[in-house]
Amino acid sequence: MGKTMKIALAGEGGQGVQSVAEILAEAANEDGKQALYIPNFGVEQRGGVSIAYVQIGDENIGAPKFIAADILIPLSPRAVQRTREHAGKNTVYIYDNSLIQQAEVNDHIVGLQYFDVTPPNPRSEQPNRDLPQDLIAGEPKTASFMTKSQGVRPEDIPEVKKVIAIPANDIAKNELHPRVFNVIILGAVIAATQILPMDSIKNALETKLGAKFNANPALRDMNFKALERGYELVHSAM
Amino acid sequence: MAEVLLQGEQRVFMTGNEVVAWAAVAAKADIMYGYPITPQNEIMHYWTRLAPKHGKRFLQVEDEISAGFTTVGGVMTGRKAFTATAGPGNVLMQESANMAEMMRVPIVYVVQQRGGPSTATVIYAQQETTLTCFGGNGEGHRLVYSTATHQELFDYTIKAFNMAWTYRFPTFVLGDGYQAKMRESLTMYNPEEKGIQLVKPVPLLGDTTKPERQFKHLRNTYNTEDELYKVVMNNQRDWDNMAEKVVEWDEKGCEDAEVILLTHGIVARSAITAYQQLRAEGKKVGFFRPITLRPFPGKELKEAIKNAKKLLVAESAYGQFLKMVQNNIFGSQIEIVPLLRPGVGITTEEIVAEYHKLS
Repeated sequence: MGKTMKIALAGEGGQGVQSVAEILAEAANEDGKQALYIPNFGVEQRGGVSIAYVQIGDENIGAPKFIAADILIPLSPRAVQRTREHAGKNTVYIYDNSLIQQAEVNDHIVGLQYFDVTPPNPRSEQPNRDLPQDLIAGEPKTASFMTKSQGVRPEDIPEVKKVIAIPANDIAKNELHPRVFNVIILGAVIAATQILPMDSIKNALETKLGAKFNANPALRDMNFKALERGYELVHSAM
Repeated sequence: MAEVLLQGEQRVFMTGNEVVAWAAVAAKADIMYGYPITPQNEIMHYWTRLAPKHGKRFLQVEDEISAGFTTVGGVMTGRKAFTATAGPGNVLMQESANMAEMMRVPIVYVVQQRGGPSTATVIYAQQETTLTCFGGNGEGHRLVYSTATHQELFDYTIKAFNMAWTYRFPTFVLGDGYQAKMRESLTMYNPEEKGIQLVKPVPLLGDTTKPERQFKHLRNTYNTEDELYKVVMNNQRDWDNMAEKVVEWDEKGCEDAEVILLTHGIVARSAITAYQQLRAEGKKVGFFRPITLRPFPGKELKEAIKNAKKLLVAESAYGQFLKMVQNNIFGSQIEIVPLLRPGVGITTEEIVAEYHKLS
């Protein structure tokens, strides 16, 4: 029986973990492999950890979800907590250790949320003066943006086969563009799994974003650069 | 969405909801009546995109009660009509499904189970097993296919139309939220190119395009007990005659097995992987899975378990499938070990762990 690679990605809504998973599974399928991708989803529109389960192998794939992941990638402090059960003794664990601090918002309606960008619909009793005032003026305020996330606490990292920390958020913001954060992660997954050639991922990206790439070729360059950057980060650490 | 030419065979990679919409096109369904509910919504969405390209129609109605009855109405006029729903929507559709049972209207309902009771979760469960098999004030004269893979979703949705129109019993494809939302590969085909004859629908009430037509009156109301008794018993006889022709199941390694893993639907995927892993370790384990829950492969199950010591029954509900099993193997002395997890998935690891607890 061939080994099926089990990958779990987790992040805050909007971080793009589901897109990463979908592109990965589609690329594997195009490559002639068996692939299965299932998102977890609830009724919430935002706020909450989103987990994507991907399995890639040569044989038919069994259950859509699994407990122990071969590759586990939690991308926020809360995702680290939520994915604890998926960390096993053979798990390669990749998390983001960027210096850029996420904003932690404890909204009394939505609950605890993390934002690495300006929240889409700010609500705060004490509007943060750092934020663009036109975004928060006139809105009912229910929470404060003053808190900065403490980031991933080292003691929360479970015991696994290998832990790799990558500053994906920092690289996206400082070197590339915040929007390609998840493409860096995609590159990291490719390096960690070693089951798909880089070209199949590039083809999958091309299929998904071809129209946008053709309209703006610089976007293609940036995405491919992000992909390679993510790949190198993990490849050098493996 | 992916464009599929239903010519030759084509390997595709998509969600289960998309598969169902394509299967309905492949089965030459004429119309879908729909009302949105997660996790089934995309069956409707994809169908509305496909329908105009294939000369088919769609009607969104005001609720599931209506979606069920408009489907019954569409079928009565001789259209291959279907609908899809989940959870509380399935509850509301039972009234029309019962009418179809009584009038022998070959409706096709696709159910993507979500958590229950009530609104519960939009995610996943196998808690609509009893409802789909026996919902309503009748005898459960329905065909229910419990699928596990996207290939089966495609194959059995096509088959559902054929079986419904052959035997004139309501037919259900029983999927779940996982199958609805996950993506995996399957091979699509044109059933007619594969030698699968698609049963042609006919108007049940008389063909309005023919002047010499004879109208029929389908009844769901009867004046006397005797009258009703005759009708229901007639349906029961038809049902019994059909049962052994349509019953389907899958089994592996039961001959010498000490423990048999018994599951249905998507949980069978976990069970089959557990079976393979345990067999590779030399464990005497078997696998049995009904594909039709109605009719239930009771005779076949009894035969499969006759040498086994234990039956490990796993389902994402609290004993709905278990009850059907107990009912069907009545008299057997085998020990039943249930793994009941209402509204949550069951992984291969959990089944293997449960197996190891047995010895």
